[in-house]
Amino acid sequence: MAKTMSERPRVAARPAAPRLLQSAGFRFALLFVAIFSVAAGFLVAVLWWATAGALDRQTIAAIRTDATSLVERYREQGSTGLAEAIEERLALDAQNETIYLLVDGEGRRLAGNLRDWPTAIGEDGAWFRTRIQHDGAVAEARVHRRDLPGLRLLVGRDESERVQLRLLLTEGVAWSLGTVLLFAGVGAALIRRALQVRMRPAVATALGIAGGDLTHRVPISPQGDEFDRLGASMNDMLDRIAALMSGLRGVSDAIAHDLRTPIARARAKLEESLNTAAGEAELRAAMEEGIADLDNITRVFQALLRIAEAEAGARRAAFAPLDLPEVLRDAAEFYEAMAEAREQRLVTSLPEHLRLVGDRDLLLQAVANLLDNAIKFTPQGGVIRLAARETETLIEISVSDSGPGLSPRDRAHALERFFRADSSRQMPGSGLGLSLVRAVAQLHAGEALLLDANPGADPPGLRVVLRLPKP
Amino acid sequence: MRWLLVLPVSAIAVLPIQSDRPLRMTTESAEYCRTLAARLAETPQATAELPRGLGEEGRHLCSIGHYRSGIARLRRAIRAAQAEPRRS
Repeated sequence: MAKTMSERPRVAARPAAPRLLQSAGFRFALLFVAIFSVAAGFLVAVLWWATAGALDRQTIAAIRTDATSLVERYREQGSTGLAEAIEERLALDAQNETIYLLVDGEGRRLAGNLRDWPTAIGEDGAWFRTRIQHDGAVAEARVHRRDLPGLRLLVGRDESERVQLRLLLTEGVAWSLGTVLLFAGVGAALIRRALQVRMRPAVATALGIAGGDLTHRVPISPQGDEFDRLGASMNDMLDRIAALMSGLRGVSDAIAHDLRTPIARARAKLEESLNTAAGEAELRAAMEEGIADLDNITRVFQALLRIAEAEAGARRAAFAPLDLPEVLRDAAEFYEAMAEAREQRLVTSLPEHLRLVGDRDLLLQAVANLLDNAIKFTPQGGVIRLAARETETLIEISVSDSGPGLSPRDRAHALERFFRADSSRQMPGSGLGLSLVRAVAQLHAGEALLLDANPGADPPGLRVVLRLPKP
Repeated sequence: MRWLLVLPVSAIAVLPIQSDRPLRMTTESAEYCRTLAARLAETPQATAELPRGLGEEGRHLCSIGHYRSGIARLRRAIRAAQAEPRRS
């Protein structure tokens, strides 16, 4: 099935995302919320580790130290000394937070403040949390088990105050996180809205362009931010497209106008010969003339294609290092004979070497066009000069003649396609020579200038200068 | 609202709670009041002003059934007695 122009490239068939997720603004906002939440979560984790975690670690350290001290006491004074140490610790526990229980092998309580040995609490060295009844209220406790020969010991701490503190912390953290998420949400909404507001002019412009009106441009704010730079780039692009389209329209009009005449002329000649030719020889001569006319038209098309290629930069791949004077000498050698035939002098002023990176064929064609023009417009006995030189940053090629030159008004249009000055209408030519020169100069990131060869003189002559940047 | 917070606090704690039935304490009774009072009496500096005052207060609170506060006073009295400088 043939592809139509309206078909657009498709990346891949994917299930459509929810409408909200299709908005880049929303996705940016979501990213903002995610980063904000991760940062807040990290902050809370650090806060928790430094407060509730520190309390936990403190309790564990106190229990471990207490248990180790009691085990030492047992080693020094046996079970009686251990029981006495426990009772002494309980007697001094004004905060009423210590928990002890010492039982013998049969489970009989020897000392401590717990009535019974808890069930299912693991082996020697185990840590566990349990509930204790304090003054009728149930509290939480953290307990550590140590086994001694024929004895089992529990050492623990009431954690009800710490649990209360943890609850307060959790409450604070929950409120803070809620507030953080609320702010993140508000921030995300603001970001989304700001993005939408900043994108709106560009979108409106794009819609206007898509609607066929190429005069739309993105308004640029004085902020000069990324969106303004994007808008400026879009405007530059649109200006370039408008210029190209205008050029294209001009070229199309020019082709229609300038090629119609030679085609009509060739047709008329052939038709006339068909009607009036007296014999085969006359008919053959008319056909040969017609073929020559068509060859000229073909040459015009080839020139147009070359200009188009040069302007599009399609030939940049053919760039290679070259010695410019060598190219110029080749051109001069070719045109010298033509100049001599018209009793003109072609004078060259070229350095020994001049290194350049470019398209040899196109440069040769451009210089050939300039020399061809110069010879065409220079009267008998006139002088044509071909020169090249280099400055600090540029390489300059110039072709001067002693012809009539160009008026300032003609110069403004002389580089356009199919332009022919009134004074040159009688001369053979297509009006494409200087267009190619300008296209070649631009392809080499340079420019073509039209100047008076002898300012103030009459006639002033024409000097065409190609300025190309040095490699 | 508050019960909602108990869940994350319990979840964050590393150790789960082991027993279903709360363990009973033996140090919240008249008997333990008497034990502490006897221990205070045996302490050499028990007659000093602060331990004596705290001890009397503790015994009084225990006698009217306020064991927790009575026991707290008696424990402070024992602490104070142990902290008192020994008479030569």
